[in-house]
Amino acid sequence: MKKSILIGIATLSVITLSACGASGMPAPAESGGAAAPTAITVGVIPIVDTAPIWLGNEQGFFAEEGLDLTVQVTTGGAAAVPGVVSGDYAFAFGNLVSVMVARDAGLDLRYVANGNSTAGTPDFGAIIVRGDSPITSASDLAGKTVSVNNLQNIGDTTIRQVVEDDGGDSSTIQFVEVAFPDAEAAVENSQVDAAWILAPFLNSAVANGARVISYNFAEFDADLDIAGYFTSGETIMNDPELVTKFQTAMNRSLEYAQANPDEVRRIVTTYTSMTADQLQTMVLPAFRVNFNIPAATKLGAAAVKFGTIKTAPDLTVMLP
Amino acid sequence: MRYLKNVLYFIGLPVLLVVMWWALTLGPTNFFVPKPLVLAQTFWDVWVGERFWTDFVPSIQRLVIGLVATIVLGVIFGVLIGSFRWLRSFTEPMLEFFRAIPPPVLVPLLMLLVGINDQMKIIVIVSGAIWPVLLNTIEGVRAVDPVLSDTSKTYKITGFPRLRYLVLPGASPQIMTGVRQSTSIALILMVISEMFGSSSGLGFTIVLFQRGFAIPEMWSGIVVLGLVGIALSLISQFIERRVLRWYNGLKEVQHDG
Repeated sequence: MKKSILIGIATLSVITLSACGASGMPAPAESGGAAAPTAITVGVIPIVDTAPIWLGNEQGFFAEEGLDLTVQVTTGGAAAVPGVVSGDYAFAFGNLVSVMVARDAGLDLRYVANGNSTAGTPDFGAIIVRGDSPITSASDLAGKTVSVNNLQNIGDTTIRQVVEDDGGDSSTIQFVEVAFPDAEAAVENSQVDAAWILAPFLNSAVANGARVISYNFAEFDADLDIAGYFTSGETIMNDPELVTKFQTAMNRSLEYAQANPDEVRRIVTTYTSMTADQLQTMVLPAFRVNFNIPAATKLGAAAVKFGTIKTAPDLTVMLP
Repeated sequence: MRYLKNVLYFIGLPVLLVVMWWALTLGPTNFFVPKPLVLAQTFWDVWVGERFWTDFVPSIQRLVIGLVATIVLGVIFGVLIGSFRWLRSFTEPMLEFFRAIPPPVLVPLLMLLVGINDQMKIIVIVSGAIWPVLLNTIEGVRAVDPVLSDTSKTYKITGFPRLRYLVLPGASPQIMTGVRQSTSIALILMVISEMFGSSSGLGFTIVLFQRGFAIPEMWSGIVVLGLVGIALSLISQFIERRVLRWYNGLKEVQHDG
């Protein structure tokens, strides 16, 4: 009898300890000391969209601001959010709908710098179908199965709007999750009627006979910003100096990347498995400093309309 | 009285844990840490109603079909492989090879070959959950009491009657052990199979909540999984007690003697 109580207490204390581990999260107090560079970690997805931060780090833009930058690879914007909230990542890269959803759920996340924007037509992201598919326009997608990498995110939100704009009923589309690398095969084998796919997978799909139905970002809004670098409201309050330094370095990086597409193509081969040949034909995203407010407002309104979030985001707080 | 004591033992630790959890989360907590009262309310809101039919029921259907297929296939192949020495030597290396492949890595491949549908999810469940049943059945069949085996041979009991009255009952304690292990593996794989290329199910819903930062909703889904786990274990214990009544009785007699 006594023994079982002891075991119970031991179990409880283990659980208590792990609970403390999850909740105890003092953010590292970063002092803006002039001498030693401030070490920061930024969580990014290893895709073309994040080329500017890798380039800027290589060019020394962050070092010049007194930042010792570590670029940490994550699997997605949503996966980086706990890291930002706990203070492990000073900043992270994530798309606008991800941050809108997080803010809608009560997490105070705010952008400090732009990330990447639609390139126009052609773009780096598109909805594709099989070469012999009867689908010829966005409105034909009504009633069909469409794959996206993540549900209730920027992919399905923009696609729904594009379908509505084309006169289709977006509520009848069935979205399923298929990772970008598997999407081409899913279309090819008719497991989905259409797939939302990004470069470089888009390029190989088109080369193998797939047909582009819509460049959904560009068609949603020709000036749509896709993603950016965000942090917690707490960091912005407590360490404005750090935020300003990061912004300065990040904006320089964006301008540098936009002005030097060949540099972008070169750096991408260093942190992804893409080859120089693949990148030669690839459409690069646009990199610019300022967020386009009307396009972001439209995106927020679409996210509310399609039930991704409950209330429209306050962009004056969310964007820098 | 004894019954009451058992019930108290059963719910004792869960109640204690929930009380501690409640006390520890009284103050302000991290966004990702759920609170028991909020969670209970969320649980009710999320799982009682439409979602029960659109996500819970399809998941459980796939789980049950997967488990039945697992047991049937596992026992059939287990009896075959266990009965013939040459077949055992022939298949053993392959079994070890396939057994070591984690089923989640097969999901993208199965999506290509089978499609994004229920069959794919059931195959994922079967491909991972079959091993305990299969291997335990093989061992159980091999270990059938040699005296009984010789006796039935002497009486010319062969073919189906031998299977029905000697091999299967003889192997049943081991088969049931395998089934119990497979049940929990099947539950885990049910969740994993729904995390890719899905648009309904418990695993799908939990991932969706997690990505939408609907943290209490996400935890409520995890609670549902835990409850399903308890229910499965109670059901398999019940079945085991019925199937193995003779065996447990035999053991008691042997202990008494």
